[in-house]
Amino acid sequence: MKIREILLEPIFSKNPIALQVLGICSALAVTTSLETSIVMSIALTMVTAFSSMLISTIRNFLPSSIRIIVQMTVIASLVIVVDQILQAYLFDISKKLSVFVGLIITNCIVMGRAEAFAMKNPPIPSFLDGIGNGLGYSLVLLTVGSIRELFGAGRLLGYEIIPLIENGGWYQANGLLLLPPSAFFLIGLFIWVLRSVKKEQVEAPEYRLAPHVSAKEAV
Amino acid sequence: MKAIRQFFDKLEPHFHKGGKLEKYYALYEVFDTFFFSPSSTTRSGAHVRDGIDLKRVMISVWLAVFPAMFFGMYNVGHNANTAMAAMGIAEKTDWHGVLIGLLAGYDPNSIWDCFWHGAVYFLPIYIVTFAVGIAWEILFAIKRGHEVNEGFFVTSILFALIVPPDIPLWQVALGISFGVVIGKEVFGGTGKNFLNPALTGRAFLFFAYPAQISGDSVWTAVDGFSGATPLSQIASGGLDALQHPFGAGQITWMDAFLGNIQGSIGETSTLAILIGAAFLLWTGIASWRIMLGVLLGMIGTTLLFNMGGSSSPMFNLPWYWHAVLGGFAFGTVFMATDPVSAAMTNTGKLVFGALIGLMVTLIRVVNPAFPEGMMLAILFANLFAPLIDHFVMQANIRRRLARQ
Amino acid sequence: MSHKETVSRTLLVAFLVCIVCSVLVASAVVLLKDDQLKNKQLDRQRNILAAAGLYDGTQSNQEVGELFNRFELVLVDMETGLVATDDVLAAAGVDISKYDQRKAAKDPSLSIKLDSAEDIASIKRQARFSQVYLLRDDGQLESVVLPVHGYGLWSTLYGYLAMEGDGSTVKGLGFYEHAETPGLGGEVDNPKWKALWPGKLAYNDAGEPALHVIKGKVDPASADAVHAIDGLSGATLTSNGVSNLIRFWTGERGYQTFLQRVREGAI
Repeated sequence: MKIREILLEPIFSKNPIALQVLGICSALAVTTSLETSIVMSIALTMVTAFSSMLISTIRNFLPSSIRIIVQMTVIASLVIVVDQILQAYLFDISKKLSVFVGLIITNCIVMGRAEAFAMKNPPIPSFLDGIGNGLGYSLVLLTVGSIRELFGAGRLLGYEIIPLIENGGWYQANGLLLLPPSAFFLIGLFIWVLRSVKKEQVEAPEYRLAPHVSAKEAV
Repeated sequence: MKAIRQFFDKLEPHFHKGGKLEKYYALYEVFDTFFFSPSSTTRSGAHVRDGIDLKRVMISVWLAVFPAMFFGMYNVGHNANTAMAAMGIAEKTDWHGVLIGLLAGYDPNSIWDCFWHGAVYFLPIYIVTFAVGIAWEILFAIKRGHEVNEGFFVTSILFALIVPPDIPLWQVALGISFGVVIGKEVFGGTGKNFLNPALTGRAFLFFAYPAQISGDSVWTAVDGFSGATPLSQIASGGLDALQHPFGAGQITWMDAFLGNIQGSIGETSTLAILIGAAFLLWTGIASWRIMLGVLLGMIGTTLLFNMGGSSSPMFNLPWYWHAVLGGFAFGTVFMATDPVSAAMTNTGKLVFGALIGLMVTLIRVVNPAFPEGMMLAILFANLFAPLIDHFVMQANIRRRLARQ
Repeated sequence: MSHKETVSRTLLVAFLVCIVCSVLVASAVVLLKDDQLKNKQLDRQRNILAAAGLYDGTQSNQEVGELFNRFELVLVDMETGLVATDDVLAAAGVDISKYDQRKAAKDPSLSIKLDSAEDIASIKRQARFSQVYLLRDDGQLESVVLPVHGYGLWSTLYGYLAMEGDGSTVKGLGFYEHAETPGLGGEVDNPKWKALWPGKLAYNDAGEPALHVIKGKVDPASADAVHAIDGLSGATLTSNGVSNLIRFWTGERGYQTFLQRVREGAI
């Protein structure tokens, strides 16, 4: 596989959130503002990339019986390190992200890439694959985070973009966007747009409605 | 009439397959069938179990809403005029005022003044709802190559009647857009939606602009005036706290039944809604099982709470008050009975209704954040409708197997 | 079974992974600990300064530290309502520099159980000692920052109430932790709403707690206006929660006695 492919495919063609619908729990929780989305994206990208690389490095020594638990240990350690770094250098944001940094451990993208890619490929491609999938996750997070902060609070990165009525402007902030379900709708719409453009991602329907029966049959 | 028919006939070939305007057939069809009955009528469908035409069903519901709608317009004007008289405001200066001034005055005792005042608020809301909603419907119809469904007639009027009269029109547009697109079209259009689109739109507004619309304070079409809804008055101080604004005395049960209170446009008068209900039941369009289920569920839950002996006022509110306040009557008659999002089986309909009755009482009484719960209760039950049907059918199958 | 699947091999790999990971985690925790502690402290200091109206978000960390150092920390004994003397603290086994009020509130030996009639702020237990910060200018008491908390609609709100040196005039109120509905109850963080607090009087002429949040807007002409704050629109229950917690903490079980001493000039 080419480097370009490994790095760019997960962004649109094989987006972990939009196509595989992985890791959306944190996407619902941390996207109330763009700032937390950015930090969360970076944290997840770093964890995915390094855990994939480390697991790929030791993949030939790993007994398959303890494969999953070793992956978990590596991922968990990296997450703790990231969490500690955030607490030390970005305290305000780490307070806002609260448990969600810790919950990267359970983010299916990280485990998914370790198991699906890193176990079968050498370290460098695994690292790039982690970066790529992290970017795919980031794309969705940043989109959702920007929309939610812009229309939910009239701000981006804390700077007022649309003046709110409360502050003498004209925009009435949309409170729904500050609640977690709105991220659900936005991710849904994102997937809708993506699949209208890239038709190959549309799944086959589980069943088809029968065409209308004729009047004679209905009676 | 003939001229119009000829006009449509002349245009028609352009919209057929191969015509130059083929893509816009849905648009043509809307206006054609608006004036004339369609040449092909639905004889059966996913949710209509007899030979009646879907359009006739929808128009009947539309007609059934009329008493509530006309009373609602009068009541909106009456509330506003009373408030203006009490606050010493002689006339409105915005565009509403200009329109009111054309045909009427501001006398709270004149039926015409009140009616026209309310109409000036209600009609723009309805027109915006209809225009925006139908635009989405046509867009999706063109894109998907089917005809515009008549269900939207009902959705639009129901949505317009469950918003407060002083809602900004852009919020109306946003709400109905969400209701139609997310509540219905995302799932494939009328018949495939599992939520009631009008309520979905209302729920969107409820959570998006809670400070204006969450039912804590209303909703009289006069700037600078806001009172608490009857339900939140009761929640904070019991029935004694249930007062008309401006010291006009206690709100009696009869006031609430007739609709002489504040609230969303169409939901205040239980009487007017009952007239509509009678029409729907007589024509057999709405399910009596659902209505009965909601009523029984609410009464049962309320009696349980009443027995609890709590000192909190909402716990002690008797069922006949629950029935006439907030959106209970309107929801029971027009929203819960939506054939698409309700349960389909007969037993299921009773259970579905009872679930709504249970939830509405629970939300009103127990949840401190929301004084009103009809909208959330119905949406909640909508989610469970397929499951309820599933169990009813399984039970049926088991019973029949056992019979052999 | 291949070579790498043997039991001894499995144990070895598991052991090595554990060692490497624990070294990694341990060193991160140890190396970053100082910075984290500093952050936590700075965060608390900022909250306290913000409540007293001294922090506007532009000061550097160093300036925050300097400003904060002007405050004097005392522990108020909630049983007597007076500043706890060293003897009292020693008897209770409390070290003033390490005391954590929120932890103490959960510790039965360091907290007081409230019965339901007293517990208007719905907090169940209250720490016996409260960390109160005093700011003096030339020996003159300028402000008193009091930790307060109480239940709103969904969550306990934690914050600081700052009073002027006269012990009755409010200087500011700020919550640093809560989980109220964004846009409704969450508006307790709105600077516009917080700006309503300074200048209000916490006690009436008879010395009884009078500060409260009302429903709707305060009529400036009413006699009650100096004690009343506008309610948050659409958030009756959060407003009531704030009102209750203020009534609790300015009341008998709160800082009433202490603030009385402040008014008398005894602190």
